[in-house]
Order: sequence, then C-alpha cells, then structure tokens
Amino acid sequence: MGIFQLDAYVLIIRGKDRLSFIDGLSTNKVDGDCSTVFTTTTAKIIDLVDVIDMGEFIAIVGHMPFKESLIQHISKRVLNQDISIVDISANNSVYLSTEDIEVDGNITKRKTWRGWLLVAPNSEPLEANMSEDDFSEYRIKNMIPHQGYEITSNVHPLACGLGDLVHESKGCYIGQEILVRMRSRGRQGKELVRLANPVEGATTTGASHSLAIVRKKRD
Amino acid sequence: MDCNTCDVTPAVVINKPEVVQVALTISDKAKEMLDSAFGDDRSHALLVGVLSGGCSGYMYDLQIVESTEQDCQELKIDGFRVLVPNASSHLLDGIEIDYVDRLMGGGFKINNPNASSSCGCGESFA
Repeated sequence: MGIFQLDAYVLIIRGKDRLSFIDGLSTNKVDGDCSTVFTTTTAKIIDLVDVIDMGEFIAIVGHMPFKESLIQHISKRVLNQDISIVDISANNSVYLSTEDIEVDGNITKRKTWRGWLLVAPNSEPLEANMSEDDFSEYRIKNMIPHQGYEITSNVHPLACGLGDLVHESKGCYIGQEILVRMRSRGRQGKELVRLANPVEGATTTGASHSLAIVRKKRD
Repeated sequence: MDCNTCDVTPAVVINKPEVVQVALTISDKAKEMLDSAFGDDRSHALLVGVLSGGCSGYMYDLQIVESTEQDCQELKIDGFRVLVPNASSHLLDGIEIDYVDRLMGGGFKINNPNASSSCGCGESFA
C-alpha cells in the first residue's frame, strides 16, 4: 500500500538499566526490539510504544499526544537506576510502511506487528504516500488498533486488540494483576472487532468495514 | 534516526524528590527474625529500598548487606544498622517493618503510610 507518516515522539533512553526499567513498567517482555504497552495501576493504557534497541541505547516511539503522560509516568519511577532520557522528536520523523522498502543508512527500520517502522532524520524525509483514509483502510483490513481511535486512556490492552503485547509469564509490571485476572477468568469485558458497515459506535470507519470495540461474549 | 544531537539536546527533566530524614520502626516479631538472621555479627546492615516496577509501580527491596554503593542514610534501631537510600527516602518515611508468620504470604512486610494502594502479594505499592 505505501508509507504513512505517524504523529510520533522519539525518546532515547540510555543507561545500563534501560531495558529492565522499561520491562518493569510495561506489558511485554522487553529484552530488545519489541512493542509494549504502558498501563496504569487499573490497567488503562498510557501509550503503546515500539522499542528499538540501538545497542548503546534504546529508542521508544509512541504517539505524540500521549508523550507528556508517558514521560510523567516513567520519570517519577527513576529512583536509583542508571537511566537518562532525551527527547529527539524534534529532529526526526516517524513513518509506517506497509511493505519492506530499501532505505538509506541514516534511516532506522524495524519490522513490527503493524508494518515496518521507519525513523528518519528530518534532513532525509520520506515521501508519505498514504492518506489518513488509506491508513485507516489498511488498519481495518489487518485489525490494527491505533492511538486516538481504538487505543485510548479509557481502555485496557486486551479490549483494543493489543492482547499479543501482554506477555503471559513475565514478572510484575503496573496493571498486571488486573490483566492476569481478566485472562485467567476469561472476563476481559470488551474486544476489538471488524464489522461490515454500517457499524454503530465504530472507532475507525472504512468504505465497507469498520473497527469497533464491543462487549465480548462470555468465553 | 538523527541522534547526533542526543548529547547536546537537554535531557528530559526527571524530578528528583526531596530527600527526607526517614523515621522507621521495626515490630517486635521482625526484630526477633532479624536477630536470628544477623546473629551476633552486627557489622552487616539491613538495606530497605524501593525499586520501580511491580504491579503497583514500586517494589520494596529488603537486603542484608555489608555495604552499598547507593547514597544512603544510616539509622540505628535497637542495635540494627538500617540503610535507606536517599533516592527512595520520600517513599519510606514512617514505615513499619513487620514480620508475618504464616505459611502462605508470610515473611517480612512493610506497613507504609505513604502507600495509596498495594498489590495482593504486598511487595508492590503505589
């Protein structure tokens, strides 16, 4: 399909505790490149981020409108750890490509569950050839939730299609008790579905189908 | 990714909370258990710290140590050396170290007046 420019922030996290710090605060097992979700103590979403392991540091890429909430959430939990955080959002643009494309060496590319994530210096912008509608159709077809649409601070990860990013056996993290209880009791409340139009209460509306978060039937 | 400016871009401000002179107490049962753990050798200290993470955001960290690289305040309570890292002092002021004697979920417990909630296992708090 093409390339879509995301409204994204990029934070650089340095220090020897960088991976364990993010791992202890988010839903997925973080030991390298991955996508993970930061949640509150009531398991509501703060942000979905992609973690890019650059060797000496990690970059976390999230949704720009959620940046301040995330920074507030993580910065107050830096106690004795060796952690420093730098915001390089102003120097970079973030794209999502639906296909694997050749890119210049200065552009960081990672395959993610949503497609290929590309972080490009502003001096080397990519041509974003997907419109908002194209991106919505791609998301609807592939059941990909997105921040501001399905992924909001009102839902937990299991309700908006992010269940694959909730690790089943990792150690404790904020919100884990609630998510584990929902899973073990088969009571996650709501789920993300793709339905043929017209869809009442759709979170993303497409030409023929839409995404919606609906109450899940009991397992 | 343009990270050439990483070294000159100002770091995100991490608000370090004020260091608090910690007052803590140890229950009689906990003293008894610490007594048997330390024996006659009181050169070691009980490190009472906090780590980020856990189900509620912060986790207690209890260790018996000879020394630590962490910047700590040292308390003397009934003959026990207790070390409290300054970085987490604001979360530990007023706590009681207790010992719960039961088969499931027993062991040292922290009763913390600063905690607004805690997880089921009692090791994590917010």
